[in-house]
Amino acid sequence: MPDTLPFEGLKIADFSWVGVGPITTKYLADHGATVVRVETTSPLDILRVAGPFKDSVPGPNRSQFFADYNTSKYGITLDLKNAAAVEVAHRLIAWADVLAESFTPGTVDSLGIGYETARAINPSIIMASTCLMGQTGPAASFAGFGFHAGSIAGYYEITGWPDLPPDGPWTAYTDTVSPRFLAAILMAALDHRRRTGEGQHIDAAQLEMSLHFLAPQLIDYNVSGRSITRNGNRSEFMAPHGAFPCQGEDQWCAVAVENDQQWAGLQRAMGEPDWAKDQRFAHVEGRLANQDEIESKLGEWTKSMPPKAVMEALHGQGVPAGIVQRSSDLQQDPQLAHRGFFRDLDHQEMGTVPYAGHQFRISGYDSAPRSAAPVLGQHNDEVLRDILEMTEEEITEAIIAGALGG
Amino acid sequence: MLSPYTVLDLTDDKGEFAGMLLGDLGADVIKIEPPEGSNSRKMEPFLDGAPDSERSLRYFAFNRNKRGVTLDLNSDDGKLALRSLAEKADFIIESAPPGEMDRLGVGFDVLRQVNPRIVHVAITPFGQDGPYANFAANDLTLAAMSGQMSVQGDPNRPPVRITVPQVWLHASAEAVVGALTAHARMLATGEAQFVDVSAQTAMFWSMLHARLAHPIQGSNFNRGGSVLQLGTLSVPVVYECADGHIVALPSGATMVKMVHWLVADGVVPEEWIEGEDWPIYERNLFQENAVRYPMEEVVDAVSRYIKRRTKAELLELGLREGVTLAPVSTAEDLVRFRHLEERGYWLTAPLPNGSEVRALGVLARPTATPMSVRLWAPALGQHNQEVLGDMLGLSPASAAAASGRKG
Repeated sequence: MPDTLPFEGLKIADFSWVGVGPITTKYLADHGATVVRVETTSPLDILRVAGPFKDSVPGPNRSQFFADYNTSKYGITLDLKNAAAVEVAHRLIAWADVLAESFTPGTVDSLGIGYETARAINPSIIMASTCLMGQTGPAASFAGFGFHAGSIAGYYEITGWPDLPPDGPWTAYTDTVSPRFLAAILMAALDHRRRTGEGQHIDAAQLEMSLHFLAPQLIDYNVSGRSITRNGNRSEFMAPHGAFPCQGEDQWCAVAVENDQQWAGLQRAMGEPDWAKDQRFAHVEGRLANQDEIESKLGEWTKSMPPKAVMEALHGQGVPAGIVQRSSDLQQDPQLAHRGFFRDLDHQEMGTVPYAGHQFRISGYDSAPRSAAPVLGQHNDEVLRDILEMTEEEITEAIIAGALGG
Repeated sequence: MLSPYTVLDLTDDKGEFAGMLLGDLGADVIKIEPPEGSNSRKMEPFLDGAPDSERSLRYFAFNRNKRGVTLDLNSDDGKLALRSLAEKADFIIESAPPGEMDRLGVGFDVLRQVNPRIVHVAITPFGQDGPYANFAANDLTLAAMSGQMSVQGDPNRPPVRITVPQVWLHASAEAVVGALTAHARMLATGEAQFVDVSAQTAMFWSMLHARLAHPIQGSNFNRGGSVLQLGTLSVPVVYECADGHIVALPSGATMVKMVHWLVADGVVPEEWIEGEDWPIYERNLFQENAVRYPMEEVVDAVSRYIKRRTKAELLELGLREGVTLAPVSTAEDLVRFRHLEERGYWLTAPLPNGSEVRALGVLARPTATPMSVRLWAPALGQHNQEVLGDMLGLSPASAAAASGRKG
């Protein structure tokens, strides 16, 4: 018997692009919804022209950056500057339960697929609009790349070393924070609609959502004027607390000693060296005050072993430790393997390649992406004919009119 | 949006944000703490700087829209009260180590007997089972094992985490998506659901396109600090300004406008305006076509211009001219950001010391079901009577025994 998927029967017209919108609709697609992802051939989704590309050969259908965020979806192309395409878009809106978009504020209205239009076509539609700054406000038009967003949202200031300019988190950090919020809000709005029949329009500003990951620090600033900044890997409350060099080229293991018991565990793992018996290090205050010395001594020990051996020695004594894993390491991670995390899916151009799995597992069914991402326009025929139930004549007319783009 | 639903939030610091999000979405969230209080009440920062279980700003930030009760889950009365609450609840969220809830006799298998439609969400470092399931872990070690740290930081220093702990927040937000997904499945199947959240995999998502780099392209991405790699070019994106730093990309789109500002400021001679095909400048660099002004010269000119101006000036200028100049915002910049002010983002919240503070606003603005903060973080056991007495109908003696607190 096939699994019962949570969102079976749910229909989503996904006009969003790049990160937050497509990641949000991916949740629904992977868990059973029918999601039609609408793209244009020009400009292409930025993720289609950004790597990693299969075998390092660039091409719009070879980016796993795009593919990983667009699993389990149908893909069609529409040139929304074309009236015939807007007509198809309206059919999609009539069909859908949810309309998602992530353009610069005002764009959907000028394209003829704004909320007022959508609601006139489909009164109970739920529309999600997401962009960095939100639909209104003096900086609503602020648009940039992920690192601009991470910077203005406060994450650059707090990532890197105190004696250097900020390094910032890895690229589009707020794009990884925001989709969870938006997906949860959409699911809640869907539950509300199930009970009441009422649809609505959601203005989801990625900045406003992402700031919640800094909530205690922002409130603290408002109370005390204390402004947090980057501090490498150090903690105000624990020591040692850092990434330590291990045997091999650029290999590291993170070690975080939370209390005096774990400090004793660390000493046992190292074989009780004399330097660590120093009474100055017995309690956290002393370890915090002498971090440079401890870090350098601890680094000498970690350097003598590969990162996995360091981690295992410390786990054996109950000390939190973790290899700084790269993409290649993650493919070998036994815990991820145990969870069946990575999934091989067959992509029309890339062939069988691994995709990221799900961050949560739900009992009773296999929670995972269901199919590879579409190549550009892969489901044009299928969506127009089978989902929108357009006649052959209507489809031909739309194609001749240029609705599907070049 | 979720007003018909009741959530039992048994989490500590690792999952309390999940309960708050469900509360922000409208659910009635009952925060269940041990008699001595959640561990997060002991976490910095503290109001007035003094450690005090009612003064943790961390607890304050992540426990709004919750009622607060204490239950002693080591006592029979406490377990019985939890089972009675589970009968009335739709969701249970917990962040106990794997197996702990079962050992206490209040695991999923027990609670689903009490309530066959319950959605039980468990947040742990690595998931409920597997070779790493019982390993000690925290924000730093999970940031490492998730892969995020491998691509963060200066290449000449160790990889870095984000200084403000993020891992449990990713896991908690993920837990809410899991809870609502499982709830949809419960509606479809009529069956209780167990959601097993792994913080390691939640954090893995922040690695973005570096996640699958190796199996796809045959090589890993490496940490590059504040530099953007464009083919063989390393383009700096962080620039020092008069009062901090900003992030900018000296690309064609930026330079088309900026070259005029550089000329007006006397940073470069007027011939720069016509001297380069600015709209395709970075494409020319990328394709190693001849350019008149090499990138180093452009970066130097941009740096000199930016250095004379403040973050706020540059942001306003960029917004006016359609050039993306992003301040490296500090807490102060964010709190004073005119855009958030005009959107009415900040809320006024009462603090336990009687003063008021500006607190973070709602997550988003749904038109038909506006989100709001109905309750600020509860004092320890604040709603014991309301929940254990009025809602469950326990006698004062039973309620006191269950709560592990006198009165």
